[in-house]
Amino acid sequence: MKLQLPPWVRPRAAIGLLAACVVLAIIPLFHDDVYTHNLLTLTFLGIAAALAWNWLGGYLGQVSFGHAAMFGVGGFVAAQAQLGLRMPMLLSWVFGGLVAGLFSLIWGHPTLRLRGPYFSIATIGVGEATRLVCTYWDWFTGGSSGLSLPMQTNLKYQLYWYGIVLAALTLAASYALRRSPVGLSLLAIKSDVDAASDVGVGATRLQDLVLFLSGVTIGICGAFYASYFSYIEPGDMFGFDRSISWVLMGVIGGIGTIFGPALGAIIFVLLRQYLIASYPQLYLGLYGLLLVLVILFEPLGLTGLFLRAVRKARPDLGVSSAAAED
Amino acid sequence: MERFAELLIAAVLLAGLYATMAYGLGLIYGVLRIVNLNHGGMIMAGAYAGWYLHAALGLDPYLSLVLVAGAAYLVGIATYRVLVRRLPRGPAGGVQSLLLLFGVWLILRNAAYLLFTGNDQTLRTSYSTLAVGIGSALVSVNRIAVFGVAIVILIVLHLLLTRTYVGKAIRAVAQNPDSCTLVGIPVERIYALTFGLGTALAAAAGLLGSTLFPFNPGFGAAELLKSFVVVVLGGLGSVAGTAIAALILAVVEVFAILVIPAYLTAAVGFVLLVLVLVFRPGGLFGQRVLG
Repeated sequence: MKLQLPPWVRPRAAIGLLAACVVLAIIPLFHDDVYTHNLLTLTFLGIAAALAWNWLGGYLGQVSFGHAAMFGVGGFVAAQAQLGLRMPMLLSWVFGGLVAGLFSLIWGHPTLRLRGPYFSIATIGVGEATRLVCTYWDWFTGGSSGLSLPMQTNLKYQLYWYGIVLAALTLAASYALRRSPVGLSLLAIKSDVDAASDVGVGATRLQDLVLFLSGVTIGICGAFYASYFSYIEPGDMFGFDRSISWVLMGVIGGIGTIFGPALGAIIFVLLRQYLIASYPQLYLGLYGLLLVLVILFEPLGLTGLFLRAVRKARPDLGVSSAAAED
Repeated sequence: MERFAELLIAAVLLAGLYATMAYGLGLIYGVLRIVNLNHGGMIMAGAYAGWYLHAALGLDPYLSLVLVAGAAYLVGIATYRVLVRRLPRGPAGGVQSLLLLFGVWLILRNAAYLLFTGNDQTLRTSYSTLAVGIGSALVSVNRIAVFGVAIVILIVLHLLLTRTYVGKAIRAVAQNPDSCTLVGIPVERIYALTFGLGTALAAAAGLLGSTLFPFNPGFGAAELLKSFVVVVLGGLGSVAGTAIAALILAVVEVFAILVIPAYLTAAVGFVLLVLVLVFRPGGLFGQRVLG
């Protein structure tokens, strides 16, 4: 039986993704460097989260400064489900993700309806309010002392492969959300909501769908994080700088592009390891400086730089920066 | 009843501060169509500036207000000239200006952290603990002073916008920048000036706020949200609308303490924002552009 791909999937992209997954999956068999192993796992997590952020911030142009709220909700719901309901790990991830997605709809559905930057401003409030309330609700989050999940030997090591699957799935979803007919609708909504509605694009439904998907994915990332560290506390899970880190991954890699945020996540995780870890008092300012510089000089981030290089090397191809948008 | 009067007075006095804070944000948004996310940063910077001038030079916060607002005005103009001006206008620039100004805020926040640590600071003056009786309620003199200064600022702003040439130019640019270019209004200069004015208002509000509340480098995030609530509620640019909206927010916040646990008050402004956005997206008084 021949596998039929939808017409908007380039076989090359599908094969590339599969090949990358296979290579990454067998890498640990050739080394036993735990540090690299862990760093890669965190990179996969960063890729998944940055891409999920980008669906909203890039594809729809609704930048969120409060995605940590869903990360935390997903993490704590999953942890509670494992502790209280004895749910198996994977099921608890899905459950935590779904709750996080519903939570995002509660505040996002009304604020996404408005033109302009209302949504972004609201996210600042959502992030802060969720953090405060959840720190106080110690029946849910264990308060500032946090929650501990039962330690499972080797789980941390195995989560590497779960991470690959998570990152690959979000990457595939990113591709589908851009290249499929839905992607065209999203592009139309981003350009002009009213015009899109006029030609029959269900803007409300699609915006909510993207928000929900983004919330679910970030929630699953939070649940993954909880299982990975087997200890979580609200100050860290709901932290402001966590929300900012995804904004930054998106901006570094190229907002609204398919692969940019994944690239941004890789750079960001490395950056945090080598640079920000040595200057813990400077990290917020460094994030800020990076944001300012990228937005001023190359709004499409690394993807923009790459396109510029291609244009220079092969002017005959006629690559424009708009190519990154489709 | 006594408690009711006390809370009402507290709310009214707080509203003056909220109105000043919000007007800066609304002015910039009304004229440039940019949400100045660095508003929170400048509120924080104003608070630290007032605190530092008081601690180092013994300058009274109400005297340093002029100094700090003036400096913030220049900072605002510089921010516009160096950064904001380079961004594309229109809906595509919206995301970029949000991110850019957010970056500036993070830098300011980090600078404050490096200079003054992350500890809470308070600005204490000799009259911080003085209070006078209004009816049966005891009211802090400082709160009344903050209210008075805020009212003066708002009246001056109103006069500036309605009675002076520059003010009229600002309002004209808010309505239609292209036509302004045609009749010879230097639009770029008006943009820079407006950005400076909005920034100065943020810093002034921050300084006033620092005499009332403890603050740290994270100060300003909640204030930004509150400013935004007031702007959305009161519509753009109307001084009276802003004042009424600020009063509504202050009353809701102050009285919320009676019915919900204290840790939830942080969410009050946000809930109000969502309610307004859903039920009155044009603001309570309909859309108006400055004046």
